[in-house]
Amino acid sequence: MSEGAAPAPVLTVTALRAYYQTRLFGIDRDVRAVDNVTLHVNANEIYGLAGESSCGKTTLIKTIAGAIRPPLKVQGGSVEFNFHGRRVSLYDKNAPDLADIRWRHLSYIMQGSMSVLNPLRRVRNSFVDFAFRHIHKPMAEFLDTVRAHLLRLHLQPEVLDAYPHELSGGMRQRVAIALATVCRPEFIIADEPTTALDVIVQKGVLTMIREVQREIGSSLIFVTHDMAVHANLCDRLGVMYAGRLVEEGPTAEILREPRHPYTAHLIASLPRIGDVAPKKALEGTPPSLADPPLGCRFHPRCPLAMDICKRENPQMEWVGPVHRVACFAAQPGKRQ
Amino acid sequence: MWQVLRDLLRYNREFAVGVFLLSFVILIAALSFLAPHSPLDSYVVPPDLPPGWPYVLGTNSRGQDVFWQLTCAIRNTLLFGFAVALISRVLSLVIGLIAGYAGGWVDRALMSVNDTFIVIPLFPILVLFYFVMRDRMSWMTLALAMAFLGWSYDARLIRSVALSLRAREFTETSIFSGMSMRQILIQEHLPYVLPIVFSTTMNNINWSIGLEVTLSVLGFTDINTPTIGVMIYWANQHTALVAGIWWWIFFPVALVVVTFIGLFLLAVSMNEYIDPRSRLGRVGA
Amino acid sequence: MTAPLLELSDVAKVYSIGGALFGHRLRAVDGISFEVGRDGPEIFAIIGESGSGKTTLARMILNTAQPSAGKILFRGADLAGMRDRLGFMRQVQPIFQNPFEAFNPLKRVDRYLYMTARRFAGAATQAEAGDHADRALRKVGLSLAEIRGRFPHELSGGQLQRVAIARALIASPALIVADEPVSMVDASLRMSIVNLFKTLRDDLGVSIVYITHDLATAYYISDRIVIMRKGRAVEAGPARAILDNPQHPYSIELKNAVLSPDAAARLYGNRPIME
Repeated sequence: MSEGAAPAPVLTVTALRAYYQTRLFGIDRDVRAVDNVTLHVNANEIYGLAGESSCGKTTLIKTIAGAIRPPLKVQGGSVEFNFHGRRVSLYDKNAPDLADIRWRHLSYIMQGSMSVLNPLRRVRNSFVDFAFRHIHKPMAEFLDTVRAHLLRLHLQPEVLDAYPHELSGGMRQRVAIALATVCRPEFIIADEPTTALDVIVQKGVLTMIREVQREIGSSLIFVTHDMAVHANLCDRLGVMYAGRLVEEGPTAEILREPRHPYTAHLIASLPRIGDVAPKKALEGTPPSLADPPLGCRFHPRCPLAMDICKRENPQMEWVGPVHRVACFAAQPGKRQ
Repeated sequence: MWQVLRDLLRYNREFAVGVFLLSFVILIAALSFLAPHSPLDSYVVPPDLPPGWPYVLGTNSRGQDVFWQLTCAIRNTLLFGFAVALISRVLSLVIGLIAGYAGGWVDRALMSVNDTFIVIPLFPILVLFYFVMRDRMSWMTLALAMAFLGWSYDARLIRSVALSLRAREFTETSIFSGMSMRQILIQEHLPYVLPIVFSTTMNNINWSIGLEVTLSVLGFTDINTPTIGVMIYWANQHTALVAGIWWWIFFPVALVVVTFIGLFLLAVSMNEYIDPRSRLGRVGA
Repeated sequence: MTAPLLELSDVAKVYSIGGALFGHRLRAVDGISFEVGRDGPEIFAIIGESGSGKTTLARMILNTAQPSAGKILFRGADLAGMRDRLGFMRQVQPIFQNPFEAFNPLKRVDRYLYMTARRFAGAATQAEAGDHADRALRKVGLSLAEIRGRFPHELSGGQLQRVAIARALIASPALIVADEPVSMVDASLRMSIVNLFKTLRDDLGVSIVYITHDLATAYYISDRIVIMRKGRAVEAGPARAILDNPQHPYSIELKNAVLSPDAAARLYGNRPIME
């Protein structure tokens, strides 16, 4: 909503629940990896999703990408895209064939670019495989389009003739980004795309993501556990803890004035060069999603925990024009 | 342990069927101790009777009861298979684990021996072995010979796993916890290769029984010890199929097939339960 | 005049890649010299990106790899002539990058504690080993009751990394070599590990070689640092002086590439700009 009265959001996720279900040896187990998450991503916006390992952010991304395989199951809620007026609802009775949408409207940048680039084939073939049928042009013109796109991303067109192993890790990730953006999709999912990279390379790759997003005006959901990356890239930030969204708002506002104690801790504990003040660690460990605590899932570790936190589950409520938080201590009128 | 076995029987169909088939085969082998005649005696029953009562699986042209003959043959065949598998497993485990862990020249030396064994043509060697041994050939010497020829593929497989285990951080933790090489190999690495050993054991039993049957059918073994192969050998000698004595060949072959299927199902289902991550992770115990 | 705890002089490690004919030689570590712990316990950070040779260097300090050239002295004795491997391990212990890999996933984690207590702390019985393990675990904020009989997958990354540190402490080492110890630990648990290193230095007198690519935590805990690039040291000295005011072009580039969490907060109202 940084655009003011923006048009309809590109992605709307409503009350989404996705569980890993195992029925084995007579014991039923539900791992509630995504529990009642509601969010939207606006047009031309980078939405950051922060959280620790096994907080459900990867599961949420899989669900949004339509990459659901057993034992993961969507229990309820909806995921709806709006591609320039064309509404596409996953997990609906008349859900569309995802193959029509992938790469053309919805693309991915993953952590290991090798999973996209076929190691046995030249980079050119990966472009042809994924993008050719979406760009309705003859092969020669198509390749010209690809070359122009690569040049725009400061990549030499010669990379098309290389095999993936001939490129460095940062180069491969850039090629993966070029591949994900060449069809100018409306929505891009980026799952920890810079985590395995060195810091100097990471900065270059992030700058490139930013540039290409501005250029083609698509929306991006960017997942990483690294708050410093979010601070430098994302317009809005959502923080997940134990399968739930606990805070969401403009990145700068959250970093400056976090309202949820978990977010506050994450930001306060970031070490900075030039800062030697002792940083306090958060006690305890994240809960098991198979057996989460009653009430607010953060309460066993929370310095502000009250009685109500142990009994009731706080809902996301507005604390600013575009700032939501799920915490009784941060919601006026709920204190006891 | 018993808990795990009970759960396996209750919830894993492959395991249950495998146990059932193998128990059936072992029961038949065990019945050999109740056999009324020695399996080597001939013309103790009327020859060439089809399956019926009192000779349930019929009798053969040498005047032997096929059922009692079969109990004894499957016992010897099973023993043979297990003996080969056991000896060759021990060899491949020791060589594979040490080569993978020690690396360097130890690895190169062991693997050059290993590769020599891989390229040796088995069948001519075993036939040659028979001609050298002649009358001293017993199933035990054949088992030893096959065990010494049958470890090399799996040793290479185990070595490759051991190499990757050597590079994992927990091996370093074990070293810096003061464990000796023997402790690390047996306590830390062995559990990882056991699933491989289990499934290759089944393959190895399969291979050794198959080879033994082949050698026996051609008469290159000690034909006085009744095994499944020797039974088929004698049936062929008496041209049983031409004479219409199909039960003399059908029942031994059927029993071997049942044995193979039982072992295979066990191998498949056991793999899943050797790894506590999958077991504990799913049950949440 | 006492010898420093650890002294590296002109250490190099060369790997041959490929065959004898067409292969080439890679200098993973090339002429590194430094000292650790001359004036009492300290945290010494080795900073570098992937391919800088920092992990190779760690392996040589732990004596699991031998330098191709140069000398590594521990308490004045050359590691190359080390006969008493167990005696060396009693004094130098490692901590690894991935806490989920530091213990065998098929085994209970407490067995490594008992084993270390029996080998290096002189525990003769299981009960004595348990006492040693419990004492070490309490130093890292855990107790034996919490982890007895647990498998690695039942503990969090932060807990496992603390158990790994406790295991190293059972031997009462003078030096701990920690290779990227927090890079795979969750953000909310990371500071507990980093703070623990400070406690080890201040309260237990353990020197730590802290190997990392993360300048911010290095700035936070280390006393002295060396910045490595392609096997060579480009800059070395007191941690804060160097990171506040790096001189070598590579150090400057490295520092500038560190993303500051304050970028957005500072530029509130606009989209953050990345140069």
